Amino acid sequence: MKVRVDPQRCQGHTPRAIIAPRIFRLSDIDGSSSVVCEVVPPDQDEPVHEAAHSCRERAIPVEETQNGSKRGIDHEKVREATA
Amino acid sequence: MSDGTVTDDDPKKKYHYHFDRHTPEYRSQFKTITEELLQKCPVAWSDTYGGHWVASSSHAVFELARCPHISNDHDMNGERRGYQGIAIPQRPSMARGGMLEMDAPEHRWYRNVLNPYMSPAAVKRWEPFINEVVRASIDEKIEEGRIDFVDDLANVTPAVLTMAMLGIPLKKWTLYSEPMHASIYTPEHSPEAARVTEQTYEMGTDLLANVNEIRQNPRPGLVNALINMRIDGEPAPEIEILGMLMLIIGGGFDTTTALTAHALEWLGQNPQQREVLSKQRDTLLDSATEEFLRFYTPAPGDGRTFSDDVELDGIHFKEGERLYISWAMANRDPLVFPDPNKIILDRKGNRHFSFGLGAHRCIGSNVGRTVFKSMLTTVLDRMPDYRCDPENTVHYETIGVIQGMRHLPATFTPSTRLGRGLDETLDKLQKICAEQELARPITERRESARID
Repeated sequence: MKVRVDPQRCQGHTPRAIIAPRIFRLSDIDGSSSVVCEVVPPDQDEPVHEAAHSCRERAIPVEETQNGSKRGIDHEKVREATA
Repeated sequence: MSDGTVTDDDPKKKYHYHFDRHTPEYRSQFKTITEELLQKCPVAWSDTYGGHWVASSSHAVFELARCPHISNDHDMNGERRGYQGIAIPQRPSMARGGMLEMDAPEHRWYRNVLNPYMSPAAVKRWEPFINEVVRASIDEKIEEGRIDFVDDLANVTPAVLTMAMLGIPLKKWTLYSEPMHASIYTPEHSPEAARVTEQTYEMGTDLLANVNEIRQNPRPGLVNALINMRIDGEPAPEIEILGMLMLIIGGGFDTTTALTAHALEWLGQNPQQREVLSKQRDTLLDSATEEFLRFYTPAPGDGRTFSDDVELDGIHFKEGERLYISWAMANRDPLVFPDPNKIILDRKGNRHFSFGLGAHRCIGSNVGRTVFKSMLTTVLDRMPDYRCDPENTVHYETIGVIQGMRHLPATFTPSTRLGRGLDETLDKLQKICAEQELARPITERRESARID
């Protein structure tokens, strides 16, 4: 699984770093977020998913790789579900 | 601008819903009104207060709050397009509401000044200071077995911390706290209104005096930062500095108070959940904090103005039309929050709207969270069996601006003090603020406060 933070969207709400502190780092200056490691270790799958689902700005695309096939970003699905 | 005429295919008629968030009924009927709007009319047109749109669904709120064609600008002197900022209806005021009533790029200039004082890392340095204020506030009441959680705790800590961050003497907190709190809950025509106006005037006078004093003899803090900021080489206009300071004070005081009081009231009504939260705080405190934020949404919404013609889901909005974005109602949208009217302390995927969205996201969100957690855990530790007194609990009559409380009295098993009372503690903390220069930005001071 891979994860990144969309800097255009991130407004530094913080929860991702509370939920998955091993993956996300916050800027000391303005609290905006970046990823410490893009490739998520398996034991961090759950907190990363929770962080992505908790992101108010939908700024954490998660890309899953399973058996070589990629599953898409789930943000669009979330947005469709809330439409 | 719309000419105000209403035709059959006019969206204002099609999506008409009478909405008045400043009435007591909006508070008492909040759940019903919210469900009705979410189901039938997630974007509605209301004729109240000169007419405005109301966005309540999570989808509409998400899209509109982040829309680049929506303005926060408050054009006080008719120099731009005459937009009215974030208050619906417009409230009489001397200055714009700081950067909350500015658009890019102006908004960003001011925000960048505040960021290094309010980032998560910057706020973390204040934790020992916050804990000490909370400890002293509780110690004032711990032997009595009786406390008003609003007056004696939740009003105190956010106000004292805000003073410290600004660089204003800590003991002045009451001078600021009283009018900030009272101006929200006192109706315009109440006999109390004149007294509140007078207190607000005294606060403004003191604030100006502090700005002038800090200009002469600089001391670290947000006041100093705003005085020293430069826009194209020029200092910020005095009136904008005052607007920014009032925004910081307004944002820093009543909101955290409201959140804390509501959470303590609910935990008092649900003692089993209180025990679970206390015992499992390592895993539950963060999610519970976000859940109380979602459910009680201290600042329930904001006004905006369409700065261009915009379409969303087939609804056409016109430039100049006003919009109310309801964080509080979006927070009850079942499409994002299953069982939205239930408090679930370990709720997952809680992407609540309580700090707003987009560029204007509450800059004090980490201050609020940190102060709230300190007050809550200290109460759980030192007054674990508290019982609130519902007969003497006073909620704000209306929730149009802040969903707050005036009083939350409680009783508990008395115990012993751990340290000095509040006055002496504030004296000590004032010295520490000066010696350790706690109010410096994170770029200048990285260490945590040391309280001996």
